[in-house]
Amino acid sequence: MNTVAHQESSAALTAISHARARKDRLDRWRIYAMRVAFFASLIGLWHTLVWLEVWDEMIFPSLPQVTETLWLGISDQSLPTAIAISMQRLLIGYGLALCIGIPLGLLLGRVRWLNETVGMLAMGLQALPSICWLPLAVLWFGLGESAMIFVVVMGAVMALTLSTRDGVKNLPPLYMRAAHVLGASGWRLYVHVMLPATLPAVLTGAKLGWSFAWRSLMAAELLLVGVGLGSLLERGRELHDMSLVVAVMMVIMFVGLMTDRWLFSRLEQRFVHRRWGTAA
Amino acid sequence: MPKVEINGVSQVFWSQSGAVQALAETSLSIDEGEFVCIVGPSGCGKSTLLNLVAGLAKPDTGQVIANGKPVTGPGPDRVVMFQESGLFPWLNVLQNVMFGLKMAGVPEPERRERAEKLLHMVHLSRFTQAWVHELSGGMKQRVALARALAPNPDILLMDEPFAALDAQTRDMLHDELEDLWASTRKTVIFVTHNVREAVRLGTRVIVMTARPGQVKNTYEIDLPRPRHIEDIGLVKIAATIRDDLRDEVLQATHEEGID
Repeated sequence: MNTVAHQESSAALTAISHARARKDRLDRWRIYAMRVAFFASLIGLWHTLVWLEVWDEMIFPSLPQVTETLWLGISDQSLPTAIAISMQRLLIGYGLALCIGIPLGLLLGRVRWLNETVGMLAMGLQALPSICWLPLAVLWFGLGESAMIFVVVMGAVMALTLSTRDGVKNLPPLYMRAAHVLGASGWRLYVHVMLPATLPAVLTGAKLGWSFAWRSLMAAELLLVGVGLGSLLERGRELHDMSLVVAVMMVIMFVGLMTDRWLFSRLEQRFVHRRWGTAA
Repeated sequence: MPKVEINGVSQVFWSQSGAVQALAETSLSIDEGEFVCIVGPSGCGKSTLLNLVAGLAKPDTGQVIANGKPVTGPGPDRVVMFQESGLFPWLNVLQNVMFGLKMAGVPEPERRERAEKLLHMVHLSRFTQAWVHELSGGMKQRVALARALAPNPDILLMDEPFAALDAQTRDMLHDELEDLWASTRKTVIFVTHNVREAVRLGTRVIVMTARPGQVKNTYEIDLPRPRHIEDIGLVKIAATIRDDLRDEVLQATHEEGID
């Protein structure tokens, strides 16, 4: 049995797989070409608008201006410093949110009375934009790093908790029965069954949490004085330097896009799509 | 001493329309090395009975004694194989088979060796690294069988494991299961709604009544092995049992009509 595929003429199989690889390569190039064309026309549109002088240069900077600002920011180290400092806050806050959100979500999914109480609070907190915590955070932690990190944690943690909880609640009961029968119980049930089984939901929550963390951090940095991408935006506003504002916006978008492509998409591909057989 | 002793167990379920007696007081004694098949109309509590032996549910009255000890929960001496494989999609085939051994604390090299041996036995040596979604239904049940056998349970509980498979695959798995049982002499309790399957595999076939289920009749099957599902003697016995079962099925349908 199952030797049918084995007995297939391997030459034919090789030919088919080569054709398939060729098609995949072609598809990839087509997608790249489409992207380049899209962004090129976007830049074209931008140029045209500047050239037509629809708005004043003060409020609608041109691409060369923005590029120059970017270059200046990189050469005087202000931009890399701001990125590094924002990233540091983001990673600390997000890391804390991961450490709190995932275990809490697992517990809420398993313990009914916790879900009825803490779960409800979590829903409420999720509806609250985390920047609303800033006044309290400043009182509690002072005008500094801790206040900003607190706001980041509050921004990301609920998305993680709720997504993980829903993942646990939607777990097929058969997995748990099979695990019980095979001798899994106690903490090993959490580590070896529930956590990996809810991985797709946890990753969805992690992605959502990451974007919430960014939003919260930018809001906090805009409001509090200091160094960071948000503060750089604020400086652009104060100096009426819109090319700086646009440059920082582009950097933020770029960082977001890269994290999604190089981190989350890869994790999803490797740990979810390939294993569950879901579409990439 | 019997391998499994079911002493007056019964179970009530709570549904939206109130209490439903799934299983009336049932007693059954199964000896070591027996292959007992339980057939009955749907809803007669045959899966409930299996769950009670597995320790996945607790009886409202009575108790189950397995290997001389009262059943209080799942144990490595009694492993269940389900109708849907219940394989873990986050693990590959080999890791799925090794799961029970990992839970039992068997060290990695030994775990791997035993799992590979079992996969070889179910003819899946070439698929150790495959993901679950890449397997066909029959392959999944083979992996599930290997996974259930890995902790080396004395008692194998099977809950309609081949019901979702096509006839050819099922025939093949019957042969494999028969070989396996003949070589390991495990005690098997096999729940099915397919009477011929029951006669094909079992040393004994137990017919259950409609809900609330209890043992209606027991048939000793002395047919020589290896058996084939088309054997004339087998078909004749199956026909007798089916007649016995038909009344119960009719009654079950009738009751559902009243509900």
